[in-house]
Amino acid sequence: MNIAVLGVATTKFGELWDTSPRVLVREAVNGALADAQVALEDIDAIYVGNMLSGMLGNQENLGAFYAEELGITAASTKVEGACASGGLAVHQGVLGILSGLYRRVLVIGVEKMTDHKPEHVASALMGAGSDGERIAGLTFPGLYALMAHACMQKYAITESDMAAVAVKNHYHASLNTYAHFSGGAGSRSAGQMTIEHVMQSPYVADPLKLLDCSPISDGAAAVILGEAAKTTRKSTVHIVGSSVATDTLDLADRSGITSISATVRAAQGAYKQAKLAARDIDVAEAHDCFTIAELMALVDLGFSDGMKKAAQQVGQGAFTLNSSKKLVVNPSGGLKACGHPVGATGVKQIVEITQQLRGEAGKRQAANAHIGLTHNVGGSGAVAVVHLLRS
Amino acid sequence: MNNSPVKLWRNQKHVRALLGKRGTIMTYTVIRVPPAGYEGQAPYPVVLVQLENRGHAVGQLVDYEHKHIKIGQSVISVLRRVKSPDNEGVIPYGIKFKPI
Repeated sequence: MNIAVLGVATTKFGELWDTSPRVLVREAVNGALADAQVALEDIDAIYVGNMLSGMLGNQENLGAFYAEELGITAASTKVEGACASGGLAVHQGVLGILSGLYRRVLVIGVEKMTDHKPEHVASALMGAGSDGERIAGLTFPGLYALMAHACMQKYAITESDMAAVAVKNHYHASLNTYAHFSGGAGSRSAGQMTIEHVMQSPYVADPLKLLDCSPISDGAAAVILGEAAKTTRKSTVHIVGSSVATDTLDLADRSGITSISATVRAAQGAYKQAKLAARDIDVAEAHDCFTIAELMALVDLGFSDGMKKAAQQVGQGAFTLNSSKKLVVNPSGGLKACGHPVGATGVKQIVEITQQLRGEAGKRQAANAHIGLTHNVGGSGAVAVVHLLRS
Repeated sequence: MNNSPVKLWRNQKHVRALLGKRGTIMTYTVIRVPPAGYEGQAPYPVVLVQLENRGHAVGQLVDYEHKHIKIGQSVISVLRRVKSPDNEGVIPYGIKFKPI
């Protein structure tokens, strides 16, 4: 597999109350087209990653909705897989190119979440879970909290170990002007986040506290895949692996809850396609919807040998920009601090890794980054998407 | 996300099969920021239970004292009202767990 990433762009992530989903998508798409030096008329197909537009905004039929907004009549399809909707849309775009039917594909990820009450957002997100989980009054923080207590019991990790993930990712976000917690005017500089700040934040679902959780965000991201036009770029980034795996919807029906088996299988599939291994990865965007999720991902993706080791490595700065010997994890700030507009996340991860591999990531640039990985999870681990990219 | 009376009726068979089951708490949480329809109940504990006979199930913990919210606690499943009825007027019932 060798699919060129022609253009990438993301909007600012955050609480964007004065911006509509249409405006967000237009901004991201215009950015990606300019970056790719491709005209809108040259797009053969559109894939839109989104989860909640129907449940929260009463708007479905997003394929035609955004084609209309862009003023084209190309094939256009909405792709939904909970928080992995964006990653799955990229996967569909890759398949569109591989099929030979489309020469250039536009992948959009978008979510507008902050227009609605937190209780309604929490309920709508539980559309990704099972009936039994909804009846129990569970929420997504609740589901990951169940996993967190099981991990603490099994691997002797602590709430402070989880807090260290938040500290790292908020530091990275402070270097990212597009991040929800970019540390801009009016907010506490995210770079100053400490373990104590996380530990003193209120519980949302024990043992997860407010600062263990990704925020409710608005945002959009866009990626153009396919045949290059006249490119003036020195090196083009290619997608060299794209793999999807699924598991049971209900957490209680899994064989284990201290690892996300779908992640393990999706990663194995992608590594095999690209003839790469975990040790080859220079920079990764991992699905850290909650701090415990990044600790699980570090093990499941093959970056750490056991969760206790993963926690020690995070604490020692092993995956932090500038102090990392090699692998940097979540240089954008991740879902945790760059923000998590759920349908946009998987597309934004491709944007971030492409910018890293081009050497265009500015203050958050990882050193000597040639091979990158993105990891996007839907539900409490019911679906996982892993992409591998190479410059 | 309404409580369709037809769906509630169809799910009763499933609920009946899970009644009176004993098990052990494998992991737990306390929900402090609830979803819509559960606002009046928060904070409430939710447990994932390893059932004695087979499989696992999640549910709220009821009739508990603070000391019961722990991994390894023995519990039994009971029938309880889940949340307030919506416009259809049907009260949804489901499985919860109480300590034994």
